[in-house]
Amino acid sequence: MKLFAYTVSLLLISFSSNSFSASAFAGRAKAAQVCSQCHGIKNPSAEAPFPPLAGRDELYLEKALRQYRNKTRKSDIMNNIAAGLSNRDINNIAEYYTRLKP
Amino acid sequence: MTIKTTFNKSLLAASIPLLLSTGSVFAKSGSHDMHKLYEENCASCHGSDHGGYLAPALNSETLKGRSPTALRSLIMTGSFETLMPPFFARLSDSEIRSMVKHLQSTPKLANPAWNIKEMKKSLKIYVKDESKLATAPTYKIDSMDDVIGVAARGKYGRGQGSEAVFINSKTHKIIGKVPTNTAAHIIEFNPANPRWAYVKTDAAEVYKVDLYTMQAVRSIKTGLNGPAIGISRDGKYLMVGSFVPHNAVILDAETLEPLKQFELEGIDPDGKMVSSDSGMIIGTPYADIFAIALENAGQVWVVDLKEGFPVTKIKNVGRHLHDAFLSHKGKKLMVASYDDSIVTAIDLETRKIIKKLPAGCVPHVGGGSVVKVDGRTLGFGTNFGTCDDNTVVSVWDLDTMEVVKQVPVSGGTESPAAHANAPYVAVDIITKDRRARTIQLIDKKSLEVVKTLDVGGHAYFPEYSADGKYLYVSAGYAGDEVVVYDAKTLKKTANIPMESPAGIFSRGRVKYMTRGLSPDEME
Repeated sequence: MKLFAYTVSLLLISFSSNSFSASAFAGRAKAAQVCSQCHGIKNPSAEAPFPPLAGRDELYLEKALRQYRNKTRKSDIMNNIAAGLSNRDINNIAEYYTRLKP
Repeated sequence: MTIKTTFNKSLLAASIPLLLSTGSVFAKSGSHDMHKLYEENCASCHGSDHGGYLAPALNSETLKGRSPTALRSLIMTGSFETLMPPFFARLSDSEIRSMVKHLQSTPKLANPAWNIKEMKKSLKIYVKDESKLATAPTYKIDSMDDVIGVAARGKYGRGQGSEAVFINSKTHKIIGKVPTNTAAHIIEFNPANPRWAYVKTDAAEVYKVDLYTMQAVRSIKTGLNGPAIGISRDGKYLMVGSFVPHNAVILDAETLEPLKQFELEGIDPDGKMVSSDSGMIIGTPYADIFAIALENAGQVWVVDLKEGFPVTKIKNVGRHLHDAFLSHKGKKLMVASYDDSIVTAIDLETRKIIKKLPAGCVPHVGGGSVVKVDGRTLGFGTNFGTCDDNTVVSVWDLDTMEVVKQVPVSGGTESPAAHANAPYVAVDIITKDRRARTIQLIDKKSLEVVKTLDVGGHAYFPEYSADGKYLYVSAGYAGDEVVVYDAKTLKKTANIPMESPAGIFSRGRVKYMTRGLSPDEME
């Protein structure tokens, strides 16, 4: 049992020290601040014209956000919103939405 | 994209008179279309009269000097940490630009007429013969007191997300959804017949809802906005009040037919004759009466439910009254007064003021909470202001009408919940930053905050289930769910998804708690 706990904690340390590992929890917090107004924290409003993100492919979400950020994909609204996101934010947000059941 | 189509069509319609007449006709017609667009998208929160309601007033005076570009982007993206949704892609860019112009050039409009004649015309009947409806709930439930109703606003305050959602508070499962056209705001339950509930929307429509078959049977539009609605102890009358226009009306609770309208005006505590918004309206188990607070006139009127509905006026209650709760078998009424930060206790038997009790900054008592602790009847009052960062929840002894304690909490609060069987009084922190995600729990005995729950969204309107075993909280705004906690362990028990949930109303309240009834009923 002790050994198990030790292994788990080691794993956790190595997991969290990896700067590229995305966190769905951090993604949820960021999504609540940045994305949920339009796309919903789970689903967009039944009345909203915005696409749902739940269960979308993680790489697609990351790529889209990066393109919005560097303006290779044009959108009045998304270019502004994505401009404030770091690489880590983008990974976390994608991780969060991709894990949601659509 | 129906809105866009309508707009193009109306633009076409507008250009016809232009061909026939002068440019001024075009301007008039254009502003008429903009008013329609305003009515369909903005008015239920910002007021049909441009005078504000849940959201700020939008008129030439309030928006003077504001940058049109900033207003345009605010409409596009919505405003975070408020209920303002993004209108990007819902309205076209030219509509948004025209709307900004329209808002900055339109003065606050005069109070429109909305009298018994207009109300009668608005009466809609969805179920012709109510006697053919099922005579018992069409779903499994131990007691109708276990029903909890949630006012789901929907992100846009109208349309598909706007509905009253009813939940079995023992299983935490949704038992019915009743669409309400615009955002549901208040749900009242008929104390005499458990099958009926009444839902009032932001656009002042009142729906009579059959809880057994979970559908609206009738509706009537009683004004343009205003949250006030109360029901008499015999379940025969409703009284409904408006901010716009300044009136209130008594309805037959069975047919929703309007019976008598009241013009709300009176002399305020500073000696001025004023026309007044309707504050809270409350029925009481104590007598066949309604009490109504006249917000601006600072008066409480007691209406006797007999021939002619005579009124007793109680003056000088406070400056800018709002909501209230009952105690002592419905005999004592505690009325919140915003501008002088007091809660005024009224004896409904003598119809006189008992005492003005100090509250915190801008008291907003919500559904109210009264609970017996060690032989004393304690009332808990929330305060939504944040004067000098001094934010407290007021605790009064309602037997002696003395302040027991002003309990420090982490921000402004607007709605408390207490229950005889639950150890904590829950209050919602509404200060607009990360604190808005939380509710705080005050220990009934120590009168100190013992726990803060991170609910998510804009967490507000806590409410206990009828048995006091569960605490329901709305993760509102973009939180999009109702979260249920075990009332003792405070462990999360369930999440119930819905769009922008707000007020939570337990049917148990008609029996156990304060709005409409008092905790004495437990004995």
